[in-house]
Amino acid sequence: MSNIGMILDRIGRKLVTEVAPKLEGDYSGGHAAMSGLMSVMAGEAWDNAADRLVNEIAGLRGLLALGGKTVTIEESPSLKISDLTVERDALARDLIALQKSLEAREDDEAKDLNAKVWMHLMATAIARMPSPPDFPDADE
Amino acid sequence: MLETDLAEKFAAYAEAHLPGARNARVDSIHRIHGGASRQTYSIDLAFEDATGPKVKGLILRRDPPDSLIDTERRVEFAAIQSAYGQRDLPVPEALFLETDPSALGAPFFVMGRIESGEPLNPFRIDTVEPHRAAIGEQFFRHLGSIAALPVEGSALAAETETPAADQCWRRELAYWANEIRENALAPQPVAEAAIRHLERNPPPPAQRLSIVHGDYRTGNYLQDGEGTMTAILDWEMAHIGDPYEDLAWATDLLWCGNDEERAAGLLPWPEAIAVWQKASGCTFDPVAFEWWSLFAHVKALGIWVTSEKAFAKGDNDDPILAWSGWFTHSAHELMLAMRLGPKYGAGA
Repeated sequence: MSNIGMILDRIGRKLVTEVAPKLEGDYSGGHAAMSGLMSVMAGEAWDNAADRLVNEIAGLRGLLALGGKTVTIEESPSLKISDLTVERDALARDLIALQKSLEAREDDEAKDLNAKVWMHLMATAIARMPSPPDFPDADE
Repeated sequence: MLETDLAEKFAAYAEAHLPGARNARVDSIHRIHGGASRQTYSIDLAFEDATGPKVKGLILRRDPPDSLIDTERRVEFAAIQSAYGQRDLPVPEALFLETDPSALGAPFFVMGRIESGEPLNPFRIDTVEPHRAAIGEQFFRHLGSIAALPVEGSALAAETETPAADQCWRRELAYWANEIRENALAPQPVAEAAIRHLERNPPPPAQRLSIVHGDYRTGNYLQDGEGTMTAILDWEMAHIGDPYEDLAWATDLLWCGNDEERAAGLLPWPEAIAVWQKASGCTFDPVAFEWWSLFAHVKALGIWVTSEKAFAKGDNDDPILAWSGWFTHSAHELMLAMRLGPKYGAGA
């Protein structure tokens, strides 16, 4: 079996619908239910994590270039989530500095670029938002 | 510490601190889920005193290795003392405060247990039906009553600083900005932009200085399923400040299933504000509310990044901290981005 997303989804559903109800009244029941919910969410996130990070990185590099910043941050040596995250975080620090400098200016060019920064932040926040799993059977 | 050990030590402590008590023993003890900021236990304590044998229901709140909110238990204890018995507020009686960790392995305090009611899940707020309106009226009346409690001379005022009316916002924003910067495991461009926005656009001074509960929301009160709020809990973030902080936090979209028509998912906005104004004596100011509402998202991010760090470091392995660092963090980041972006021309 190599479909990790499916495995996490199924483990999570079993925890929520079968294990947690048997532990009702025990403190660990809450842990089991919460762990199950997040396992399902992790299955979904596992599938799209690399795609999301690559998109964030492309957006960040584009904005920094528009801001006239010389970006010295090296490209990720692989598509591993950990490597991509290091690159994304370094670029995000530069974006914070860029946006702060834009807010200090009154010219239209700065306002236009700041609007683009916000569009990136909005799109990123939408992409990062996990869907809350629905477990109709868990209430029965 | 095993619960049997905890029960024995607690019985000995209670016998020494309850006036006239003897032969104290714990008849039952169980941990209550959800109190990640403190380890919370429900205890039946049996003992005898001059009037004969009795059993008292108690709640023990003990500090964990790490928690959602890094606060002193003495502040929570003082806040409960300040509200207990005032203006019909359903608040438990504060009984013991112990800051010496030798008694139970960590500092703790003890409250009387309120015997009826269950917390309402903020993600399933529809389960309050058919008592939504009744609970909503009490929710906003009690919130207003807390805002109207006397500050001067209160137990909380003795434990915390009282800011000037025009400095409440600055103090809270500085505190939560620092929490985010000290604890975030990754850069926070949305939070940083929001902090700068709030600094550039301050709210009006507080209309009055109030006791601020700090975490007044669905999930932190008990209701009996028959239309009565029976207890207001979780006072660990209490302080003295602007009552708009509580109003904005209580009505944050996260706690009301994204219901934009009803304040806190409970009452239509005009009714909710009318009830709050009458109980608090404050006048609703949309400019102040807008600032504190955005601030509520920032404050939430401060809590969520702290939770994520505690979980990631292994200081506290309660899965609720991982949930907070992931789902609720994402939700508040999204809310902030979608509210602030259009103010700067994005999506316009």
